[in-house]
Amino acid sequence: MSTVKLIKRHELIVLLEHWGIAISGIALLMSGIFQLPSAARYKITAIPGFWWSGEFFFTLKLHYIASVVFVGLVLFHLVYHLLLQERAMIPQSGDVSESVKVLKTFITNQPEPPFGKYLPEQRLAYVAIAIPVLLLVVSGLIKTWKNIYAPDLDRTLLLWATWMHNVGFILFFMAFLGHVAALLIKPNRPMLRGMLTGRVTREYAEHRHPRWVSEIEKNET
Amino acid sequence: MQHDQQAGALSRRGLFKVSAALLAGVTGLATLPKQLLAAPLEGKLATLIDLSLCDGCADRPQPACVTSCKQEKNHTVPKPVDPIPSPFPTNIIEDWSKKQEVANRLTPYNRIMVQKAQIMVNGQEKNLSIPRRCMHCDNPACATICPFSANTKDKNGAVVIDQELCFGGAKCKTVCPWQIPQRQSGVGIYLKVAKELMGNGVMYKCDLCIDRLKAGKTPACIDACPKKAMLIGPREQIHAEAEKRAAALGGHIFGKQENGGTSTLYVSPVPFRELEQKLTPASPDPKKGQPLLKPDVKRKMAESDGLGKAVLAAPAIGLVAGLVGALGKLSQRRAEHAGKESR
Repeated sequence: MSTVKLIKRHELIVLLEHWGIAISGIALLMSGIFQLPSAARYKITAIPGFWWSGEFFFTLKLHYIASVVFVGLVLFHLVYHLLLQERAMIPQSGDVSESVKVLKTFITNQPEPPFGKYLPEQRLAYVAIAIPVLLLVVSGLIKTWKNIYAPDLDRTLLLWATWMHNVGFILFFMAFLGHVAALLIKPNRPMLRGMLTGRVTREYAEHRHPRWVSEIEKNET
Repeated sequence: MQHDQQAGALSRRGLFKVSAALLAGVTGLATLPKQLLAAPLEGKLATLIDLSLCDGCADRPQPACVTSCKQEKNHTVPKPVDPIPSPFPTNIIEDWSKKQEVANRLTPYNRIMVQKAQIMVNGQEKNLSIPRRCMHCDNPACATICPFSANTKDKNGAVVIDQELCFGGAKCKTVCPWQIPQRQSGVGIYLKVAKELMGNGVMYKCDLCIDRLKAGKTPACIDACPKKAMLIGPREQIHAEAEKRAAALGGHIFGKQENGGTSTLYVSPVPFRELEQKLTPASPDPKKGQPLLKPDVKRKMAESDGLGKAVLAAPAIGLVAGLVGALGKLSQRRAEHAGKESR
């Protein structure tokens, strides 16, 4: 019986953050699209089980429910990791040029350079996803406030919030697709196990993230 | 000579008419509270439509409010492109540009209409006339959930569609309890974006003559009403006036509670539920620009306000949870560190 040695990559709390934001984010993308007058026009309402897609008041409720989870977790994420000084996802100098080199290795099948816990492009991707998320959260809160308390909100602020939300939606959607598309790259796939179970194989970690493994070993000793 | 005789006859009849009109006018004006007439059109405004005064301009081919609105607004609809692009996949085009004269329903070129009801008022059968247009709701879903904020509520209470920003998706019509906004295809910004795939024109409705209000003038319909059946003024005063008139008539108010409250108050000598049942033609169809008059229409978006408040509370909840979680983790780390050292 072969035993695969595993190494802990993410705490449970990180998994909950990631999947909470992912699931609520998908729900937000979907209910947000249905806030456009698109479902009835494109006959999505006629698809079995999708009658609700054209009900603007219903999809607004879905949008709000998903927002509670999404916004709560975004704030939790910021405060929690800031206080614990966990900065492994923050881009470092040289990440752009390093990312280009790594991308080249994906195409040329050359060996990758040794990584720490995260790849340089993962750190850049974090920022690329964090910017639209922050745009969406801030503008979404303004829009929600307007819906309940201030239907006559200052027009300039309202237009800013509306377009921040609409542009944020497009950027977030693209970032989401990019994030999922990263799994098309074979060397990235073992990380899915890490995101699902919190652990990756020691073999993978030692092969691809030797700097991270040595850091763990240093801490243990 | 004949002309002189006629002129004389006319002048005597005319004199009588003018005197009668003057008397009626002075009496009528005297019954109106002066502050409503003299008050500056600033701050939150409201309008009052007194159904006991409106006769639908029975002596005219068309009610004065309708005529004046058309004169004021018809030129604001641009000429649609020819041919109008066919929206995929519905192929539904709404073109009113060749039917601008239509007045028996709401259209982009007819933003106020007058409904009729034959009904018993204090034991007498009467024809009531009910001018209908946008209610300018206090918290209008048509504006708050417009995806492009093309429809907004002004500080003065007017709900206004920006013709430059509207894509004509008609969401505002769908969420309006009275389905007031009307679409003209072939005009607007959608022609410059993805004309077959997204949008289908521009939505039009009463904007309370916002430009006139900003210039200190009353809306065209109110200005033109020969019976002074419509009034505009500071919201508090209009509300007080509506209550006073309703009490004097033993009547009823529509628009105070409907859709969570509106900036338009109708005063009627008969209950609105009865009035709605007597509307002619019977069973008006809001989808065809003939709004209903059902009292106590609920503000549907109120159902999601609780969840919206939870969204507004979410940052604080997340922040506190993050703080508690991080402090817990730090103390756990400290304990582990202390444990290692003691070993």
